[in-house]
Amino acid sequence: MEQVVQAAQVLRDRIGDFQPEIGMILGSGLGIMAEKVASPIVIPYTEIPGFPGSTVKGHAGNLVFGELAGRKVAVMQGRFHYYEGHSIQTLAFPVRVMQQLGVTMLMVTNAAGTCNPGFKPGDLMLIRDHINFAFNNPLMGPNLADLGPRFPDASSAYSPRLQEVARKVAAGQGIQLQEGTYQFNTGPSYETPAEVRMARTLGADAVGMSTVPEVIAAVHCGIEVIGISFISNLAAGISGEALSHKEVLEQIQVVKDKFIGLVQGVVEKM
Amino acid sequence: MNLLEKINAAAEFIRSRTKLQPKVGLILGSGLGSLADQIEPADRLEYEEIPHFPVSTVEGHAGRLVLGWLEGKPVVAMQGRFHYYEGYSMQEVTFPVRVMKALGVETMIVTNACGGLREFLYPGALMFITDHINFTGDNPLMGPNVDELGPRFPDMSSAYDPELITLGESVASELEIETRKGVYTACSGPYYLSKAELNMVRTFGSDTIGMSTVPEVIVARHAGIRCLGISCITDMAIPEHLESVGHDQVVEVANRTRPVFIRLVSGIIKAMSL
Repeated sequence: MEQVVQAAQVLRDRIGDFQPEIGMILGSGLGIMAEKVASPIVIPYTEIPGFPGSTVKGHAGNLVFGELAGRKVAVMQGRFHYYEGHSIQTLAFPVRVMQQLGVTMLMVTNAAGTCNPGFKPGDLMLIRDHINFAFNNPLMGPNLADLGPRFPDASSAYSPRLQEVARKVAAGQGIQLQEGTYQFNTGPSYETPAEVRMARTLGADAVGMSTVPEVIAAVHCGIEVIGISFISNLAAGISGEALSHKEVLEQIQVVKDKFIGLVQGVVEKM
Repeated sequence: MNLLEKINAAAEFIRSRTKLQPKVGLILGSGLGSLADQIEPADRLEYEEIPHFPVSTVEGHAGRLVLGWLEGKPVVAMQGRFHYYEGYSMQEVTFPVRVMKALGVETMIVTNACGGLREFLYPGALMFITDHINFTGDNPLMGPNVDELGPRFPDMSSAYDPELITLGESVASELEIETRKGVYTACSGPYYLSKAELNMVRTFGSDTIGMSTVPEVIVARHAGIRCLGISCITDMAIPEHLESVGHDQVVEVANRTRPVFIRLVSGIIKAMSL
């Protein structure tokens, strides 16, 4: 808790009376959103006590404060993943710092494979719920009672109010928005076909390697969450094709404008 | 010392003790260790001699790497393996696979003893693994990726080589050995699962349940090694008629099945084209 307070203090000293209301943690291919922030104050993670360095080469690691779609935002440019070897508590840390700075809503996005035969690559999926399949939880350990309860309720982890906002914005932009459940697997190996069938049996529509730790941390400290998955590929065994990260990144290029338009539209109205 | 340096140090030490350049790696599960005794001529290296190799925690467990010729093929066999439930990290469990790759291994055969969840299996059945479910909550590739060893996000869509499975089936049929095919789930162990847990594992699509193999196969695929997995079903773990199972029974069935299992694996190695 002291580390969270200390990091928030260091940031406050840098951003003055700017008070962010919306936090944004953006997945593969959407890092460009941070460049659209107006009047940005860019603070490298390395200058924030308690923030880990990013292990992924070429990944910018900055917290960017400023205005986006007329709203005051704090954007994580570069995110941390469990598969990189960070502790799951480390993934919760930036969310907690955002909360201390006054953030009340969080937008999370990711790239995911789909195990729902009705979805296709290029689709955008509103996350209605998640399955934590990492066998770990960022809230394990002594509870930080200043942030939230010992046993937080996750029955509406993804805010129904913000989901409704997203539906309206998508309809207004002519975007067909899928909806479903996101399953968090540790990675970094892609799922096997048997693991994908299991995810489907368990009730998942998409599988990925991020998002859930941050969402659990946000729910714990009372932040409203909206999550959008970009469906980059059919999960293993559904198409019979081998999977590659290159394919994921290429697919994002194809629908990037649509995705950016939706995210901006939702931020404006949320 | 980083992972790459440790692998290279171990491989260099092994090369200083043998002239053999192995192409096939063998990881032999409960009861099959004696296949390594048929490797001839062979160079035998105790694990404890090899730099950075994990050290066995189990007293009296033979732990050695055997390099030599088996059925006309240059092989490296692990006689004694490392299990996650013994307290090793996933990275330690899979370190020998990294070293095998550095020695030139391109194909790996991994065997295990496991419980059967379906009626088409029976104690003593031999099953080609068609796919796996990692139910350990851990992954040997977590942590920074070493790009020299493989990609950050390796594909697992055909982790068990379909051509090797076909080869295995045709060898089995020539030898008149009955085999099955199915999905293997690895859990951490070391306790045998409860009925409710077995029911869950069966419901999410697995045919068998065990405590090994998956970490080694993930790392082998990361390294681009072709894999063949064969399970010996040692006990039935069908929740509706589950009787208590002990390690003694597992060992008894594994021992009884050993001769036919060894014939099958030897036959496959002989038939393999490298």
